[in-house]
Parts: sequence; structure tokens; C-alpha cells
Amino acid sequence: MQIAILYGTETGNAEMLAEDIAAHLDDHDTSVTNLSDMDPADFTAGTLYLIVTSTYGDGELPASAKPFEEAMQAAGPDLSGIHFAVFGMGDSEYEETFNFGGKRIEELMKGAGATMLGARVTHDASGADMAEDLAFPWAEAVVAEAEPALAA
Amino acid sequence: MPSVAIIGSGPSGCYAAQALAKARPDVSITIFDALPVPYGLIRYGVAPDHQGTKAVIRQFERLFERQGVRFAGNVTLGRDVTLEALRDGFDAVVLATGLHDDLRLGIAGEDLPGVHGSGAVTRAWNGWPGAEAPAIGRRVVVIGNGNVAVDLVRLLAKTPEEMEGSDLVLPPGTGVQEITITGRSPAEAAKFDPVMLRELGKLTDCAISVQDVSSGEGKTVEALQALDGHAPEGARKRLTFRFGMTPARILGQTAVEGVEFTDGTVIPADTVVTAIGFDGARAACDAEGVVAPGLYATGWCRRGPRGTIPENRADAMAVAARIAADLPEGPGKPGFAPDCATGYDGWQRIDAAERTAAPEGRVRAKITTLAGLLALAKDGET
Repeated sequence: MQIAILYGTETGNAEMLAEDIAAHLDDHDTSVTNLSDMDPADFTAGTLYLIVTSTYGDGELPASAKPFEEAMQAAGPDLSGIHFAVFGMGDSEYEETFNFGGKRIEELMKGAGATMLGARVTHDASGADMAEDLAFPWAEAVVAEAEPALAA
Repeated sequence: MPSVAIIGSGPSGCYAAQALAKARPDVSITIFDALPVPYGLIRYGVAPDHQGTKAVIRQFERLFERQGVRFAGNVTLGRDVTLEALRDGFDAVVLATGLHDDLRLGIAGEDLPGVHGSGAVTRAWNGWPGAEAPAIGRRVVVIGNGNVAVDLVRLLAKTPEEMEGSDLVLPPGTGVQEITITGRSPAEAAKFDPVMLRELGKLTDCAISVQDVSSGEGKTVEALQALDGHAPEGARKRLTFRFGMTPARILGQTAVEGVEFTDGTVIPADTVVTAIGFDGARAACDAEGVVAPGLYATGWCRRGPRGTIPENRADAMAVAARIAADLPEGPGKPGFAPDCATGYDGWQRIDAAERTAAPEGRVRAKITTLAGLLALAKDGET
């Protein structure tokens, strides 16, 4: 099973976390890709997609995820058979829009028929936890759940 | 290996180092700063109650802790080292010096005691070494309609309890009763981010009224309309938004007594804070940030003092890509730091001391004197 870690970032925090997750899953075959470079036509059934994204501005996706959002809306791909999981990064100082980025990615993927594994986990920049302390257990759990389904 | 000196350890300098280290792992990078502490406006500009925004620091810690980037603090360009010496000693030099002075209103009364620029005020509230906190009275007028003005207003309106989780022990506006924020433009043209406005709706000790927004559309106007009438029970402070108000002069003989606007309106005040932007010369450079061969500029130093952390990240990445392409392969110049320079280990001692000293409910207590910072930064030197 291949694991593709996709990230949407504005300040680089989600990019760093994506790289940390890849390093943490080093006994798997992983890749790290900016969502700005992800073509919706490239989703592959045998790959697990771990998507890490922040929220920016007024509850929007971060800059690097916006081209992906536009491409998904334009292409309307059929992603049935695609498995993904979402890790959102937010800041509860902005409670009305807290973690809208992660929600939006979940909507886009589910709307295209993809299957979400695990629960969408969110990190709060104003909280006490380090992002990786939440993200590593999340990634391990999702990978364990995916292995029977995606084992070639 | 080739060497690069980056002048300024704020977000632009650090993002430039990050992008450069990624593109050219063979390059030795030194980031200089005038202070013995890194991170510039992330530490001294981003509001003390926005610790989440400061989380980008975790990326930059990697530069110094894992990627071999050297921090050379306590080095003032022109005093401790000249630009010429840096250009002689390094293969490339990047100017990321950032902030300039507060823009002036250019009206009568501006130099009266009680009138302050936002840059000076936020530096003081953020514990910039030696910056003296201005006296804040009971009636404050904030002139300006951007996010810096909202930061000022929010901090003035907050109670000590609302500073929970910040790095400021006491909010600056404990004696404030009345805050008026004014802008020249109509509400729909104000530069506030709606998300910053909505945050004011959480204030527990400040009633809010918004005037002059009868017309106009958009998220900013909607956010303002939602704030109007915010009235927490027993609120001791009052905040009023006014739009379409151009200041004509600051009134008062020996100290501020009020602000007179061009339409004849007078708002009584004992304190005026201007937040109308920053001033200063930009480096003369081309669109790619090239000032001269081997000399580059990025961030506010290149584009002028505007734009957020992400915008400056994009700018720094673009300049770093250009530098990575220009740098020679092979041995290159060795680089250096003057004897007065303090290192990243010095900052780590300051950081640890500040965290240890944090009172209940605060994340840190900043050391606010240069002598105090230097004593820790140089501790352990023989």
C-alpha cells in the first residue's frame, strides 16, 4: 500500500507536519505532495491519501489548497474506491471558522464519492498539544484501518 | 561550501533561510539580528494574545536545531559589521530588515504628549527591549482602519482574565473607559479582516457601537453590523467605530485633549494612537529582489511595509529561488560573525528563562531589557 500525504498550507505549518508524518511512517512507502500540485485525475485506488490542511482567512482553505478545490469543482471526478483521511489545523481564537479547511476537504472528497477512514482530527494552534502528538496516532490508526482494505 | 548572510531574523529572513536550505543544502546560512533574540515581528509585532499565529516559530526552530543554520544575534549592521564586510565575507547577502517607522498624520498637534504611533506602542506592549510603554488614559482615540488598529483596540479592551494564555501579564488598558476607532474611508472600504472584527464580539468587559455603517455591503460591513450593540452585562468599557472621519488636528496645549475632524466633529481624548501604516525607504531592487550582484532584499524591505506572514513567505521563497540559482557550486566564501555575536544557544537560555518565569495563566514573561537578554545570551561564555 502506498501512502500519499497531501498538504494545504499558507504559512508552512501544514507542510512541516506532512513531512513529519512521512518521517514517522518511514516503514511505509510514502510521498509528500502540495495540494497545489495534485491533479484530481491522479487519485489511485491502491493508495491511501492522508490530507493535512490548515484554515486561513475567513474560514477558507489555505492558498496552496485553493487550486485543488477549483480543480475538484471543475473536473467533478468520480473518486469512488479512493480512501482518504483528513487532519485539520486551526486556531480556536477564531472559533466561528475553526477548522473549516479540514471540513471543506472532507466535503470535497466525500462529494466526489471517496471513502473517509477514521474521524477528521483537528489541531488547535492555541491549545496545549503539539500537532504531531495528535497527528502521529491519527496516521497510525488510519494506516491500520486501511491496510486490510487496500492491501494489494 | 558557499555562504549566505541574511540580515534580520523576522518571518521574511527565516522563510528565506528555510527555502534556501531546502533548495541548496550545500549552503551555509547565517541569520543576523540586532537583538540577541530571533523572530522579529513574530515575537514583537504579532499580538501577545495571538499565540497561535506565533506557532510558525516551530518551523524556524528546525533551521537552527536541525538544519545547521547559524543565528548571530546582537549584531547591528553599520555598527558591529558593515554591509561591505558582509558582502566580502559571504557569497550572498539578503536584506530582510523589515519594519520602518510609523507613518505620521501630518497634522497640527501630532507631537503633543499622549499621541503615539502604533509601531512604538506595539513594540512596548510586546516587550521590545528598552521600549517604554506609553501612558494610556481613560479616553483613547485610535486612528486607522486596518488589522493593527484592531489589535490595539482589542488589547485596550481586554481584562487581565482575557489575557489568559498570552505572554502579556497585564493588558495595557486597565484604566480605559472609552475607545473610539476612526477611519477616513467608509466602512465598506475599511481594511479590517472580518475575522479580526468578529473576535471583538467575544469581549467581556466592553460594549460596542458602530456608527456610520448604514450603507455598504460585504463581509467587513456584515461583521461590523454584527458587532453593533454588543453589550456584555456590567461592561465597564465602551468601544465606538466611526467611519468617513478625516483628522484635521489634535487638540490640546500641553497634552492631548481631543481630535478634531475635517467635518468639525471633536472627539475628546487624553490618548491618541495612530495606526495608519509604516514609513521608510525600500531597498532599490528589481522584481526578483536583486539589489546588486550578490545582494538581495525580501519581505517588507523589498516590497514596502505591508502584507501578512504568508505573503512574505511567498516573497521569501521567490527570492530564495533566485539566490539558489545565482550561488556558485563548490567551496565558496567561508562567512563569519563578529565577536559580539550571540548564538542560538543564547536564545534558548532566554526562552527557557522566560517560560520558567511565566505567571499562572501566561505562556511566558518576556525579559524587556537588553542587559537582561544579553546576560543570558552570553551566559556560559568563557
